[in-house]
Amino acid sequence: MSQLSLKVEFGGGIELLFSKKHTITVELPALVPTDDSTDDQSLMEDTAKEKKPANLAYLVLYLRDRLLTERAELFVENGTVRPGILVLVNDTDWQLEGEGDYELKDKDNIVFISTLHGG
Amino acid sequence: MTSCGNPNVEKDALMERRPKYDGKTKICVKCKENQGNVVIRHAVYCKSCFFPLVQTRFKRTLEPSINPAPDGPRRKALRAAGSLAVGFSGGTCSMTLLDLVAKTYLTTRPTGNESMKGGTDHPRNSERGVWKGKPTVCYVEVCGAFSGQIDQTEVIRAIVERYPNCPFEFIPLRLEDSFNPSWWSSVGGGNAVDSARSFGLDISDEELRLTHISQSTPPDSSALTALKAYLSSVPTLTAVNSTIQTLIRLLLFHTAAAHNASHLLLGTSLTSLSVNLISGIAQGSGFAVAEEAKEEWTPRPARGLPVRVVRPLRDVGVKECAIWNWWAGLHPVDRPWYPSGAGKNAVDSLTRDFIFGLETDYPATVSTIARTCGKLASKEDSDERCILCERPAQRRVQDWKAQISIRSYSDATPAVSGITKPTHLSDDEISNLTQAKQESKPEPSLAPYLCYACHTTLTSRSIRGMTAPLSAQRAKETPLPMWVRSTLDGVVAKDSVDSEMIQSKKLTSQDIKSQIEQYLIDE
Ligand SMILES: [Zn+2]
Ligand SMILES: [Zn+2]
Repeated sequence: MSQLSLKVEFGGGIELLFSKKHTITVELPALVPTDDSTDDQSLMEDTAKEKKPANLAYLVLYLRDRLLTERAELFVENGTVRPGILVLVNDTDWQLEGEGDYELKDKDNIVFISTLHGG
Repeated sequence: MTSCGNPNVEKDALMERRPKYDGKTKICVKCKENQGNVVIRHAVYCKSCFFPLVQTRFKRTLEPSINPAPDGPRRKALRAAGSLAVGFSGGTCSMTLLDLVAKTYLTTRPTGNESMKGGTDHPRNSERGVWKGKPTVCYVEVCGAFSGQIDQTEVIRAIVERYPNCPFEFIPLRLEDSFNPSWWSSVGGGNAVDSARSFGLDISDEELRLTHISQSTPPDSSALTALKAYLSSVPTLTAVNSTIQTLIRLLLFHTAAAHNASHLLLGTSLTSLSVNLISGIAQGSGFAVAEEAKEEWTPRPARGLPVRVVRPLRDVGVKECAIWNWWAGLHPVDRPWYPSGAGKNAVDSLTRDFIFGLETDYPATVSTIARTCGKLASKEDSDERCILCERPAQRRVQDWKAQISIRSYSDATPAVSGITKPTHLSDDEISNLTQAKQESKPEPSLAPYLCYACHTTLTSRSIRGMTAPLSAQRAKETPLPMWVRSTLDGVVAKDSVDSEMIQSKKLTSQDIKSQIEQYLIDE
């Protein structure tokens, strides 16, 4: 099982940064480059790069590099999601799951909710 | 924070980001049984305990204010003096507020787990009929203020009307209603067409002189034009944001008064309250800081009931609201975070970034801000109210400003400028008599009736520069919101009889420079 299929959902207006899609499916290799590169070449199975298990921190960078359509600064800040964006892993606050260090599993459901439009 | 630098850039240099949760236990602190689902200010809760937790905080904040007089030792049944109005924006906390109101007070019959997903605290019969009549939900559409924004009124209507058995009456408003005489008379403000005169504002210099607008009352169709003229005359992006907030606030107040509301609920969360408080202080509204947490507004002109403005989510963070919405299947209305025209670097946007950063890394700090501001009281109690935002104002904001900034004033001038209306003269005669005098005498000014924050909002151009250049004529005839015109009709006349009109003398930039020379620091 070298490939992960993840259900990624966006709420609270964050979908505006992802072509207004509320739900997407992301396919990731279970092992990703240690240097966090996200290009196709680096994700090939036969790449010479050093590998690590794919974690949430990597998913955030992958979403930013590959799927975000505008204003990256509203999603990522200092290498992690910007303050004011909540992350749920299988319906549980990512703070209970080690945040960025959480190792992704196949069929995981990851939710990003923005609270920046408080009103 | 060591300085007044950009918190966005500096906070990470000063405060190391750290994990919020130490991972010692994942068991819910409440039921001590289930695996936790969410961390709220360092405590772990499961999904079933989360809903009652938020609902309890909501009720604990709201309910002591419901009965007209505070309860004695024994808790009486909840009976409000009037009806309920809810200000609704479609945003995250607003969504949660509406949902809590519906599920706590308007559910006709508790229906097991569906009425409060996973919750155990069902509405009791005694909590029905707390308010008189059908609660109103007021929404202010702001798209008129910005080009390229879409009208969300119907989206909002659908959200409000989705609740079973239509417990709410939906009242759509528009920002430009602030300048609309029909709206003003519909909320019982009075007939603006019969009003003796119409003031405009000369915003082209700091004295904020009132001018007489030739055409007394603009027809409804030009309310939008008036709004745009008003906003484009406001000097900075920060000021545009706070001006819009003030207009929304007063539109909600007057609509609530017209519906005989005793309570107006706003979806201000702990997080946004802290943002408002800090950004308000930064913009000069320190005098009214205690009001932001809790306030009561007596309508002017007098009608209806005093309206208690309650923020029942002021002990609930925006994170809790977002999670509530997500788990309850509610989707806040999509809206760009920084509407065009509301600059990313405006004071409130910067404050928001700072507070959100704090809440993520140091959640307790944010509630400390709100609590501390709730305790602030101004040394001098004030009966005066600002004519624009209706918040308590210090008498004569100019006196205050005179103490802290460089200004000078001529002596008060007796009233000769036509703002009192001698009963034996017709309007035409008055205008003939006063026209010549207006050439030589300074006109009345709006400044004495403004709070410090509103005065600063309207005059801060000297620091930041104009948002857009105004034609000289437009700058001199900036329209005023209906409530300002209405109150002016009364108070300007009264004050000029009392010969209290304070006229300000214009300072040239040379005057100012010579006065502050000794304080200037070489660059
Ligand atoms: Zn529990
Ligand atoms: Zn004011």
